[in-house]
Amino acid sequence: MELEVVRHLARSALQNLEAHRRRIDDLNVYPVPDGDTGTNLVLTLRSIVEALEASTAATSDAVAKDVTRAALMGARGNSGVIFSQVVRGFVEVLGEHEGVSSPLLSKAFRGASDTAYRAVKRPVEGTMLTVIREMAEESERKDLRSVRPNELLEAVLARGEDALARTPEMLDVLRNAGVVDAGGAGLVEIARGMVYGATGKELPDVPVEGESLGFDAIHQELSDCRYCTVFVVEGEELDKDTLEDQLEEIGDSLLVVGDSTALKVHVHTDDPGRALTLGTALGVVEGVEIANMHVQTAQREERLLESAPATATLETGLVAVCPGRGNRRLFESLGATRVIEGGQSMNPSAADILEAIEAVPTDTVLVLPNNSNVVLTAEQAAALSRKTVRVIPSKSVQAGFAAMSRFLPTSAPEENEEAMLEELAAAISGEITVASRDATIDGVDIREGAYLGLVDDLAVASGPDLDAVVHEVVDRVLAGGQTFLTILTGEDAPPLDGLLTALEERHPDLEALDVHEGGQPHYPLLVVAQ
Amino acid sequence: MEREPFVIATTERGRIAIAPAAVAQIVGAAAAESYGVVALAGRGRLSRLVPWGIKKGVDIELRDGGLVVELRVVVEHGLRLAEVAETVRSRVQYELERMVGLPIASLEVHIDGVRH
Repeated sequence: MELEVVRHLARSALQNLEAHRRRIDDLNVYPVPDGDTGTNLVLTLRSIVEALEASTAATSDAVAKDVTRAALMGARGNSGVIFSQVVRGFVEVLGEHEGVSSPLLSKAFRGASDTAYRAVKRPVEGTMLTVIREMAEESERKDLRSVRPNELLEAVLARGEDALARTPEMLDVLRNAGVVDAGGAGLVEIARGMVYGATGKELPDVPVEGESLGFDAIHQELSDCRYCTVFVVEGEELDKDTLEDQLEEIGDSLLVVGDSTALKVHVHTDDPGRALTLGTALGVVEGVEIANMHVQTAQREERLLESAPATATLETGLVAVCPGRGNRRLFESLGATRVIEGGQSMNPSAADILEAIEAVPTDTVLVLPNNSNVVLTAEQAAALSRKTVRVIPSKSVQAGFAAMSRFLPTSAPEENEEAMLEELAAAISGEITVASRDATIDGVDIREGAYLGLVDDLAVASGPDLDAVVHEVVDRVLAGGQTFLTILTGEDAPPLDGLLTALEERHPDLEALDVHEGGQPHYPLLVVAQ
Repeated sequence: MEREPFVIATTERGRIAIAPAAVAQIVGAAAAESYGVVALAGRGRLSRLVPWGIKKGVDIELRDGGLVVELRVVVEHGLRLAEVAETVRSRVQYELERMVGLPIASLEVHIDGVRH
């Protein structure tokens, strides 16, 4: 297995998977119909591609290790976790030899299937598992033993397609919904991308999607280049590979997706003019966006400097995870060294958190996960880092905000940790959201579309009137005699003027009522009492 | 001591009730089919207190009309634990809503062990 070859195959797989992401999301009905299988697989595969771009592995074994690690750390969602096992089983076999032959590929497919099956107590057939198992069985056919690797791969892909087509016969939920398994479909598209990459065949055309997911994700990457450049080229018989090769020479974080009539380009480069020239040579260029990333970075660094006056006196680095632009600014203004976007519906991976930890210029780093689902991921990241990392287990943004009020970048880590844990234990969190269905929770009757108030994760009030729900929540968070109340408004928060006056009148003992624009999704208001 | 069945519907002609053990079986089956789960763990906190601890690794209670579910699982080594736990949680919730229809007050997934 050579790094260059694996890189090429992984890119080709990702390109094909991205073209099918929407369709796969729409297929998703198992294990729960939440429409994220395609997206999760793309994010998982992207982390493998990115690791390969950065890899310097010189031996087959080293390539296998890099790929396995990236798959495990980048795994998103159920399908991503299964795929990480498939990848691990596959490359572990290939990593034992430098060359690749048909018998070895067959063993690799067997390894992929066995590794995937090993991680579940009761495997369900009609899923990704069935597809990889049948692929392995196909590769073991006696009459395929002496064919060339490319022929073997084509046979395996055909069998994977066949197995996928039969998944509705094996799983009732698929038959009832009239779909094939989404994870299985993803695996087949990944395999197709690899096989076409290996054989040099052109991938079948798939209509270009509107906004590709890839651009958001790739923006997070660090780059030495100054300009983030995005544009679309429209024309006839556009040659994607050539354009990719040309752009590669002038920048990084390159992504070119589309078909022969339209290509969307994303590249980080110091010479956006040259990138556009390359585009106009092929066809009509549209939708040009050029952003100066150094300005963005500089603005961010300035904000950091304001909160931590001199780098020399930075004693404690802090990484926080939170959703919404306002919350990010808020945490930065309170001294967070790094803020990662994330929360209820978009959890960062351990790799994201680890990267932030490593980028902080102190040996001891505190992490505020700010979401109960992220606490465990933060602890995983802590275990992976060589630095001393302490996770302050904040389960919500507002709880994390309360803890931040005691954070001093210029104090020793131990003092900060102690103070923040103390504040976290004393703070009472409440949140107001909008119910997505009818239910009775904690004795509260909830109607779809009504406001729902929670205090420390227990439902306390629900109704169509926001003010009534807020009063109930605030009454409860202040019941212990706290005198500081902070409100973080969400991206769809209604105007609060009257409500704030009413709150002040209702709670005359309040010493401070602070309102910040948090910008988080799903929660119009988050409150915390200290 | 036998546990009271959970009433899931009341009609003019009578009540429909489900045994806690049946709910626990649904939860156990959904968990065991979740990717990454290689075993259900030993008895949980609640079942130590009550003699009718019904299903390995699963505790079920009905509190104020809502199901309180506590689940203990063992996960394969090397997987992203947060993703596995989230899959188990969403899958169990989905199966309970689909099959039982009682509101879920809380659903906790504990990873009790990691299998190498």
